[in-house]
Amino acid sequence: MTKFPELIRALLSGGVEFILVGGVAGAAHGAARATYDLDVVYRRTRENIQRLVACLAPLSPYLRGAPPGLPFRFDLETVHRGLNFTLTTSLGDLDLLGEIAGGGRFEELEQRTVVADIFGSKCLCLGLPALIMTKRAAGRVKDLDAIAELEALLEEKRKRNKQQP
Amino acid sequence: MEALRKSAEADFDKGVSLEPDPVIEVYKKDVDRTLLRENLKLTVEQRIEKLASFMQFLEGIRGSAQGLP
Repeated sequence: MTKFPELIRALLSGGVEFILVGGVAGAAHGAARATYDLDVVYRRTRENIQRLVACLAPLSPYLRGAPPGLPFRFDLETVHRGLNFTLTTSLGDLDLLGEIAGGGRFEELEQRTVVADIFGSKCLCLGLPALIMTKRAAGRVKDLDAIAELEALLEEKRKRNKQQP
Repeated sequence: MEALRKSAEADFDKGVSLEPDPVIEVYKKDVDRTLLRENLKLTVEQRIEKLASFMQFLEGIRGSAQGLP
């Protein structure tokens, strides 16, 4: 089971630049749906990848679903050469995304984020409309329920914002 | 923190308009909005803690269910 608060805390305390996306971003906005992994889009600069590697190294990151014993090393070189990684860690499943369908890379997504105060740090979370657009762009049948929930949430938020002075 | 949360809430829209999708509209009818309204009363941190606690509950149920015939 993924320990979402601990994993987010680890990334924040490691100074990693990332954006919460996927199910946990949905939950941060108020969605009530279960999700099993933490999805983040990370900035692909050398400095940030270094921070990411240093932060995750103690959590024994390994390729999710891969047979044990592969010569996988989660280091600067591996992350630099790759893009998206689906990992297991000692705190649970983590999807490290260099880019996402319908959203692009960190720099493109950054303009469509909101800043949330989580665990004493400022954390970037993909804005709700952008989150819906990325889910729509992914075009997966399994996401239809989730998109409907996010759109209903957006309607509720808009209603609420209109009511508040 | 409350001020930051409110400013984040206000920023959510950022002028994005989404064209209604007829398929999504059908699915939307089944969404339990009472859960969403309850979640909207919480802070972002509380929502994440709630998700973590829900997932822990599911894990517990799954563990118990393994003993079922």
